[in-house]
Amino acid sequence: MKKIVTALALASLLFGFANAAEKKDPRLELMKDMRTMLDAMEQIQRGGLYSSTEDMKSGVKKLQGTLKSLEGDEVKSILPKDQVYAYKFAQKTAGMLRLYSDDMITSIEAGRMDDALEDYTQLLKQCTSCHIRIRNW
Amino acid sequence: MERRTFFKVMAAGATIVAVNPSLIRGNLYADDGRMYAAYDKVQIVDAAGNPIKASSLEKEVTYIFNYPYASTPCMLVNLPEPTQQDVALKSEMGEEYVWKSGVGKERTIVAYSAICAHQLTHPTPNDSFIKYVPKNVKTMAYEKSGIIVCSSHLSAYDASAGAKVLAGAAPQPLAAIVLEVAPDDTIWAVGVLGSDKFQDYFRAFKPELKDFYNGIAQGKQLVSISAKTVKLTEYSKEIIQY
Repeated sequence: MKKIVTALALASLLFGFANAAEKKDPRLELMKDMRTMLDAMEQIQRGGLYSSTEDMKSGVKKLQGTLKSLEGDEVKSILPKDQVYAYKFAQKTAGMLRLYSDDMITSIEAGRMDDALEDYTQLLKQCTSCHIRIRNW
Repeated sequence: MERRTFFKVMAAGATIVAVNPSLIRGNLYADDGRMYAAYDKVQIVDAAGNPIKASSLEKEVTYIFNYPYASTPCMLVNLPEPTQQDVALKSEMGEEYVWKSGVGKERTIVAYSAICAHQLTHPTPNDSFIKYVPKNVKTMAYEKSGIIVCSSHLSAYDASAGAKVLAGAAPQPLAAIVLEVAPDDTIWAVGVLGSDKFQDYFRAFKPELKDFYNGIAQGKQLVSISAKTVKLTEYSKEIIQY
């Protein structure tokens, strides 16, 4: 009996650990996404400076992969407490990032590099605009 | 042409322009710093195309119309009290100009570009972060209401004083739309006073203009004859105000 109780306790402990690992901290996830966004922006810029459309497109793909958490309602759980009310602004920013990054792909594919670099400028503006607002920069 | 006839023509022309400045088209940068761009004189009409009468405008409601370009949104508001008069304002570049006052019998009707002077936030068919905040509604942007607030970065503008900046990061007032109210109570937009952000707006929102106006060229067409006006609540699906 003692062995069974011990085994059950151990099993529930292990299950608890596994469950905790599965439930990722949304704030940590956001930080990870922000680092990925920074990488993506650097990659797009590098692509622009080295005339590599592939780098630019790959950067856009990387950037768009991070937008989901900002576009949905889960954004409320990752914003600083005093800024949760402004989640609509964060969602709007994510929407604009998607708009400009989609346009960048269209511009690259049409060979309109001036437009693509203008899209990059606007992407950067959206990033800083949101940081000014949400991080009280 | 005889000298006398020439002077007569010149005098008549000057008198007509003095009575109705909206006849001048183009930009005027006077030595005293006034800044005014005249566009086509356009009648403010409702969604069905019927002229809107100044006396029929609801108080403290944000109405939207596009002027002077097909894609540049403007706010029209009938304020609860008469506006200030001859307000001295300054653009981001230091150009000084004077906003005369609101129009209508009680000087309560004002119109401004709805493109925020800070980061160009503006109403779209999807959403709006900028609007007039009625006196009985609180805002985080400023201690008092009855003002225009851009909720993107909480810039506040004085609706009764030429959209002078009250708070926030906006570097200059909103450009004012110069209105005239005709004897039959109809409302007309005749020009833009102050520093507008139209070219920055066209550059920054090119992809958005493609979506909403089928292309930049259409969005950049000048409005003529009339401008359809609807309440902001009808113009944008969602209104966000902090």
